[in-house]
Amino acid sequence: MRSSSASLRVLATLATVGLSAAYLLPVYVMFVTSLKTPLEVTQRQYLLPSADLQWENYATALRLVWPSLVNSAVVAGTVTLLAVASGGLGGYYLSRFRTRWSRLLFVLVAVALYLPYQAVLIPLVQLVAATRLALTHWGLILSYLILNAPLASLLMATFFFSVPRELEESAEVDGASRLQTFLRVTSMVALPGYASTAILVFVQVWNEFLLALTLSTPYTTTVQVKLAEIKGSYVALYNLQMAAALMTVLVPLGLFLALGQYFIRGILAGALKG
Amino acid sequence: MHTVGVVRAGGAARAGPRLPALEALPFALPLLVFLVTLYGMLGWTLYVSLSEWSGTAPDYRFAGLRWYRLMWGLDRFWVDLGNNVRWLVLGVAPTAVFALLLAYLLEIASSRRLEAYLRTLILYPAAMSFIATGTIWSWMYQPDRGVLNTLVRAAGLGGLASGYTTDPATATYWLIVIFVWQYFGMSVLLLQASLRTTELQEMVEAARLDGASHLRTLLQVIVPNVRGGVLVVVSLLLISALKVFDIVYVVTFGGPGYATDVLAFFMFIATFQQRLVALGAGLAMVIFALAFLVIIPYTVYALRRWFE
Repeated sequence: MRSSSASLRVLATLATVGLSAAYLLPVYVMFVTSLKTPLEVTQRQYLLPSADLQWENYATALRLVWPSLVNSAVVAGTVTLLAVASGGLGGYYLSRFRTRWSRLLFVLVAVALYLPYQAVLIPLVQLVAATRLALTHWGLILSYLILNAPLASLLMATFFFSVPRELEESAEVDGASRLQTFLRVTSMVALPGYASTAILVFVQVWNEFLLALTLSTPYTTTVQVKLAEIKGSYVALYNLQMAAALMTVLVPLGLFLALGQYFIRGILAGALKG
Repeated sequence: MHTVGVVRAGGAARAGPRLPALEALPFALPLLVFLVTLYGMLGWTLYVSLSEWSGTAPDYRFAGLRWYRLMWGLDRFWVDLGNNVRWLVLGVAPTAVFALLLAYLLEIASSRRLEAYLRTLILYPAAMSFIATGTIWSWMYQPDRGVLNTLVRAAGLGGLASGYTTDPATATYWLIVIFVWQYFGMSVLLLQASLRTTELQEMVEAARLDGASHLRTLLQVIVPNVRGGVLVVVSLLLISALKVFDIVYVVTFGGPGYATDVLAFFMFIATFQQRLVALGAGLAMVIFALAFLVIIPYTVYALRRWFE
């Protein structure tokens, strides 16, 4: 339904210019400010790049956030692996088994996707403290796993739908068990789906704040908690705040730019990411 | 574009033969364990909200609705509820409307290259955390040296300079701007996908052949027939607006005063700072109840599509 009347083209140009300003300015500001001296930040030349680029701001910021970057990588990485594995199994169940039970499970999954974390936060803190999991990364990992397994299952179920049943049937005729068929046929065909699910879960866990804030200890502080802390305590040092923010967004933004198609397919398949 | 939405997945589904429960068990078991834990914790929170628990040590003596009555009497609760309504209305309606307009504009008046550029441009915030965007926007909003006021003054429009999030009267609205900025791209993406269903494309084609203008096509063909996509987008936005916590925490910490406080933020403060855990659990249940109302229509819709 493409057409090219002049007024439409004007409208499209206006939208492009407006959106470019709204979406490029914040990143530009983050980048430019992160390379300034504290003095330049307080002087009135905010939008111009620094005359003397302060690359050591990044070194300072990296020293501050490095341990939390490692924590976030460990937590988000492990959760992603486990969520994708259990999501594959659960998703296969949701997409291939049509019983009263799978219907019930689907409803429970759909509601769980939208469950505000607040509704389970108090018991989670109790459980993680009582089992002493809070002292290690496992407290955060298991909490995120429980909360992301429904999303991963639903995403994988959506991707399994596009795997033709005929492929599985021919494997079954050859005597493969259901589990073998799932592992050797369905999962292989749906590998791009696994990639989409993995990226979405990873980004979601990397960016999560509320659970990280309440469940992390000084040993397991994630990068979002650290950034909030830096933002709170270095009130005036906007250059360091921006450098730290840059380090925080580098990983998920890199994933988005490098593997955008998977990311987009994940969002479309989920349409439920909260 | 290749899309496999939950909303449309049902069509491609081919139900297999009914399988023995034993065969299903290894697939269903992990998910079942997680779901049981999740709903168990939900019930646990409900029970905490009906208990006496205030202080560090759990106190599960039954208190009935005592803490809910206390909540009802708190000024702060009603301020928060008002702010949550602002988030729900202003965070969702403009986002959905403008997203639909842009999605349609991209369909009728853009080149592939422009579309690819715009998609990356508006979608990248979806990969960033609210903490990061909140940190950046705090600097944009900073009243005396921040970016926006500097720009406004440089343009000779000093009168437009604003206190942004430091002005109690407008603070919440400026926070909502961040939310809209961050979720806009995702909304456009989802609506574009639903504009591209063959069914809708054919209707639009027919309307255009009959000589309907673009505007009329949008209002009379697309708006009434894109309900599924709108339902998905609006549900997603509503639930995100309802849960909003990170932006408030990092940009204003609920201030000035309670001006930007919301239920989720009060829940955090009540539970973990004031240690009124039963009250915090009650607030969590209020948030859950509101979320539940939002997701009922969506769940019914998704269920029907899934099993059709």
